[in-house]
Amino acid sequence: MTIAHDFAYLRPATVPDALAMLADHRGAMVLAGGTDVVPWLRDDAITPETVVDIKDIAGFDAIDVADGVLRIGPLVTFSDLIASPVAAEHVPALVEASHTVASVGVRNRATVVGNICSAVPSCDAGPPLLVYEAAVEVAGPGGERSIPVLEWFLGPRTQALAEGELVTGITIPLPGAHGGCYAKLSRYRGEDLAQVGVAVLALPGNDYRVAFGAVGPVPFRAPAIEERLAGGGPGDADPAALDALVDEAISPIDDVRASKEYRTHMSRVMLRRSLAAAAARLDGGGPPYGEQVI
Amino acid sequence: MTDTYVGKADEANAMETLGVIGKGTPRIDGLDKLTGAAEYVDDMDFGPALLHAAVVESPYGYARIKGIDASKAEALPGVVKVVTGKDFPYTFGMYMKDRYVFAQDVVRFAGEQVAAVIARDARTAKKAASLVEVDYEVMEPLLDPMKALADDAVLIHPDLEDYEHVPWFFPKAGTNIAHWRKTRRGDLEAGFAEADVILEDEYTVPRYAHCAIEPHVVVARLDKAHRLTLWTASQSPYTQRDVFAQALAPLGLSHKDIRVVTPYVGGGFGGKAGVSMEIIGAALATVVPGRPVKVRWTREQEFTNTYQRQGVRARIRLGAKKDGTITALEHDLYWDAGAYVEYGANVVNAAGLSATGPYRVPAVKIDSLCVYTNLPPGGPYRGFGYSEFHFGLESHITRMAQELGMDPVEFRKKNAIVEGDTLAYGEAMNPSGLIEAIDKTAAAIDWGVEETSDDPTKAIGKGLCLFWKAPAMPPNASSASFLKFNEDGSMNITVSGMELGQGYLTVMAQVASEILAVPPEKIRVETPDTDRNPYEWQTVASHVTWSCGNAVAAAALEAREKIYKVVHDARGYEEGSLYLEDEKVKCDTDPDFELPLAEFVVGGIMMPDGTYRGGPIVASGKFMPEFTSALSDPETSQGGHPNVHYTVGAAGVVIEVDRDTGKIHVKKAALAADVGRAINPVLIEGQITGGLLQGLATVLYEDMRFDAQGRLLNPTFTDYKIPTSKDVPDQIIPIIIETPQPDGPFGARGVGEHTMIAAAPVIGDAVADALGVRLKEMPITAERVALAVAGMDD
Repeated sequence: MTIAHDFAYLRPATVPDALAMLADHRGAMVLAGGTDVVPWLRDDAITPETVVDIKDIAGFDAIDVADGVLRIGPLVTFSDLIASPVAAEHVPALVEASHTVASVGVRNRATVVGNICSAVPSCDAGPPLLVYEAAVEVAGPGGERSIPVLEWFLGPRTQALAEGELVTGITIPLPGAHGGCYAKLSRYRGEDLAQVGVAVLALPGNDYRVAFGAVGPVPFRAPAIEERLAGGGPGDADPAALDALVDEAISPIDDVRASKEYRTHMSRVMLRRSLAAAAARLDGGGPPYGEQVI
Repeated sequence: MTDTYVGKADEANAMETLGVIGKGTPRIDGLDKLTGAAEYVDDMDFGPALLHAAVVESPYGYARIKGIDASKAEALPGVVKVVTGKDFPYTFGMYMKDRYVFAQDVVRFAGEQVAAVIARDARTAKKAASLVEVDYEVMEPLLDPMKALADDAVLIHPDLEDYEHVPWFFPKAGTNIAHWRKTRRGDLEAGFAEADVILEDEYTVPRYAHCAIEPHVVVARLDKAHRLTLWTASQSPYTQRDVFAQALAPLGLSHKDIRVVTPYVGGGFGGKAGVSMEIIGAALATVVPGRPVKVRWTREQEFTNTYQRQGVRARIRLGAKKDGTITALEHDLYWDAGAYVEYGANVVNAAGLSATGPYRVPAVKIDSLCVYTNLPPGGPYRGFGYSEFHFGLESHITRMAQELGMDPVEFRKKNAIVEGDTLAYGEAMNPSGLIEAIDKTAAAIDWGVEETSDDPTKAIGKGLCLFWKAPAMPPNASSASFLKFNEDGSMNITVSGMELGQGYLTVMAQVASEILAVPPEKIRVETPDTDRNPYEWQTVASHVTWSCGNAVAAAALEAREKIYKVVHDARGYEEGSLYLEDEKVKCDTDPDFELPLAEFVVGGIMMPDGTYRGGPIVASGKFMPEFTSALSDPETSQGGHPNVHYTVGAAGVVIEVDRDTGKIHVKKAALAADVGRAINPVLIEGQITGGLLQGLATVLYEDMRFDAQGRLLNPTFTDYKIPTSKDVPDQIIPIIIETPQPDGPFGARGVGEHTMIAAAPVIGDAVADALGVRLKEMPITAERVALAVAGMDD
């Protein structure tokens, strides 16, 4: 792997140091796991003058629960999340999504925060964080702020982080009893980027949350579908009507990974199966988390 | 001196008890590979003098080079030299000299080498390469072979008629047809007239990449004594030397001046046969004499600028009688051969001779056309054209059986080729256990037993297809070996076939071990160095076990003769009464006599007077199939004997497919191959497993996609999918059939490539069986299946 261009490499130990470095070096690229940043550097897709490696910042690798909120630090990898009993207890659909990210080797390095900072439309963390109504905690020159994930994704590879800001964690209000599901369409069982991602949360009282990934410029919630489902069981909605709502919600593209037609077809199939799995899991049944419904 | 092993196979076969042949002898390279001791080119340390090269590639599929400005690159500190096509106005190629060391005035595919930067480190080279400014006049690329065949198509190679080529190619000057193989036998019109059913259709197969784990790499050094040494990751050290010598002859280099060293190779699959990117290293070394220079491909370059498996459009017309007898076959194959066909045209040729498949077909018309396009050069890939044409042909055979109302397996058995049947080019079929292979495969997948899935969204389907393949080689492709005994009775054998992971070195050791009664662990077989090891054409065509095995057997038999002669001279026993056992010479007529090899194979045998007889036992062996000929009537292919033998077999699968998602899960895959004699059954099971997986990947996941400029859209594993351990079938059943090949070592014939050939059509058949949809274009992805089931396909 040859990176041809020069850049300065900085390694802060504290958040204030990191913010100072980001303030001093406009356009600096933050490095955590590096599974996106390093290939981009190799391919000259980005040419930052400075790379700020945050791996030395204490506490950034923590997953903890306090005051009814689950907090995921910026250095928490997908493997960390998979190994976390706390995550399994409170956000099983996010853990289910974590299992589908790339390969074991990549998951050992790739961070959940990095995944949503890269903000590709197919990011696996996007749909589950949307249904868990997570927020992105940010520190910057103007102080700290909390950005709801619903407002985080602005476009392909674009998110709400401003110049000089650093993500300090993801917070998720504990959802209480629920059944969740993340279904991912991939071309084989090995590592792949989602061609469609569907996250569903079934909450008591026939309350559903639905989010899609890879079938629009950003991962998104589907309120019209949620409204149609509200109050009934997953089997109660007229399948044709549900399909029509899916078609309205998504705006898939044709690319080398999948055609628009297949993405549309699979969005319908995956929503049906994810709803059924989430509802069954809420009732203590359904397939175990981690077993893909497609 | 044993001239050739032909005719001696019976002698080897007649050995009553076989010691190591037929046993799963552990790989002699296994420990080195497991521990990391095995060295590959990129591991080799060339010291601080090593220079690195980066290549400037064409971003266009077809463009005229108006100018190259390298001044910015040359000005970068650390840059040693920038070279362009002006420095090397030479063509090269294996079967046809149509490929350029560097593009001259025209680039013919996206990714073609236009210039190269040599620098003191890889980073500087990469940076400098991005500073080379090339001014292109972009032209409309020809990406579809059918468009390239149009009367008014631009000629991608206007100088086609001037290119040197082998005598069995027939380029059509003034067209984009680089070679046209025509095979004709019997009365075609009468054959179709006799048929009760005639079925005609088209099938499409895209391009594929080899995806060896190790990318291509070459280190080259021209020393001050005008000696050019190359360390390459290659299947073909001697062929590379030959191609380098021919291409670089204008620089005063000849065969004796060129040395090619090939250590272990991390996978080849045909992609490292012949010469592709290595020509760049050979050329660059000549401009920096005294210093080694390294060219190492990235994964992206591995996809775009080595060889690709060619795409093909097939049209098949098949006639059969109500009783299931095939009467006639018309098979047109239009190959997307790419920008240069120096190797790929022989793939077209091989398919054109054998596109009947393993069937008895009385009337045949095959047209196999090698068509230039502005896509990367096509070339050898495991299967060498056979995987490509079997997809259409085997799909068609099943459909014909269904049209006739016959069981597809019964239809195949009725028409399966057997020993003595006449091949499409007029020669007789070699011994074959095809019927046994069909029966055993059918039994392994419970053919004829319908199965249903427990999951209502899923359907189960079965498929069973046949395959065959012959090595595609020049008629004089040959192998040689040197063998020498050491003081302790151990042996060093040198050959120039390549250990590609198939276990070749182990098999060569087993052959010598069997004849000389020395255990394999006392035999080292070394990877090639053309200064030290004797000639081998290439490690391709699934021929080295057969061909080089014969050469090693010949050397071992020569050594045995020498051993017997020494014992005869020193001890007086009749040579015919001596035999070898447990590293000793023994005698039929004197049970008390035994002489350990270690006591005399170097130092000789002492006589009563203190003098010695004998001396170092050294031997050589060679093999050339002296019965083959590539000369035949260009209009019919009759009159020659192009192929040495066919290896045949059958493959079957049981799949479970999800009607909604189209996802295919292979529950069981069985494959039977007639290997003649399984010298090492464990290695053959490895070939069957690996080949099936590679074949299943080509039908289930892989394909190369190009944009309108001919640029590859998926040149990484992000979007070009090869199977992982999670994608392996639940069960793989390898079945070994042994109908001896009379001219093979201990009766063995080749099996390496064959194991992937039937994978694509069996999946097509199984999907059709499960869901009632017939897909005629590869790959058969989940997407294509789901859209076909939903009626959403176009």
